Amino acid sequence: MTLNNIGDLNSMHVDVLTELGNIGTGNAVTSLATLVGKEISINVPRVRILDFNESVQFIGGAENIVTGVLIRLIEGIEGMILYIFEDKFVATVLKTFFGKEFKSALEINEMDKSALNEIGNIMAGAYARALSSMTGLKITLSTPSICVDMAGAILSVPAIEFASIGDKVLFIEDSFGIGNDMVNSNMILVPELDSLNLLFKKLGVGI
Amino acid sequence: MEKKILLVDDAAFMRMMLKDTLNKNGYTNIIEAADGEIACNMYKDEKPDLIIMDITMPNKSGIDALRDIKAMDPNSKIIMCSAMGQESMVVEAIKLGALDFIVKPFKPERILQIVNKILS
Repeated sequence: MTLNNIGDLNSMHVDVLTELGNIGTGNAVTSLATLVGKEISINVPRVRILDFNESVQFIGGAENIVTGVLIRLIEGIEGMILYIFEDKFVATVLKTFFGKEFKSALEINEMDKSALNEIGNIMAGAYARALSSMTGLKITLSTPSICVDMAGAILSVPAIEFASIGDKVLFIEDSFGIGNDMVNSNMILVPELDSLNLLFKKLGVGI
Repeated sequence: MEKKILLVDDAAFMRMMLKDTLNKNGYTNIIEAADGEIACNMYKDEKPDLIIMDITMPNKSGIDALRDIKAMDPNSKIIMCSAMGQESMVVEAIKLGALDFIVKPFKPERILQIVNKILS
């Protein structure tokens, strides 16, 4: 049997994906800590299966301006990783790397975007390493691309691309402390169905 | 003569970080390329003593550039530096002739240790 829709996932599948989310995020945040050169304390990530519309609400609503970094999974597991960085996260990054005060995500310059892109790249790389190590699959990532726009617009990218497999995504809500600041960063994982089936097969989980 | 190092990464931010680390430690002859294609073209004219090469880049990947530069010059010295550090990728790069493989993010001391060792 195979999955025909992300909505077919049962509670056991969700548990497995939750654990993958935990492990992957743990690796990603460890990488982030090394990059920013600070200790990062992490709360247990919250993994949910959400409708696209629900996930838009989770990130402040369709008109909320957010910074999104999109990375495609192109080999091994195929699909998309979309990081949604809230303003506080962006502010912390820009302060840490460039000593600059953040005004608005719409005013960040090309070097700022490059830094955020690279953070998405490194975190996705850590996530892919965790998945690869657990499944034995070689997982290749695309170059990252960054966009500052309304949440509804940014989320429409995976929504349109994956319309055929259903309208649900894996939403991983991360909350961590950098220095004295608590920041949120959310990751949306949209795997292709064939990849999801392969993933469960590699993990020895029945469908 | 001062050693010339070519930094190849599509992220301007990463090139900036690497250049800063190298400059502070005495390596000031630094040139940059934003993808593997540019790196291959630059290699012919610049003949850098060392290349620090990202893998995931547009136009030409670091692995393809490694292969092409090694074909041009088997004595070229190339270190891979990538966010993807899965074992199969590291093995592939080393088999193609990379001298080392650093997984991002890295501590400055780590990259300096490797650069110093290769260029000494």
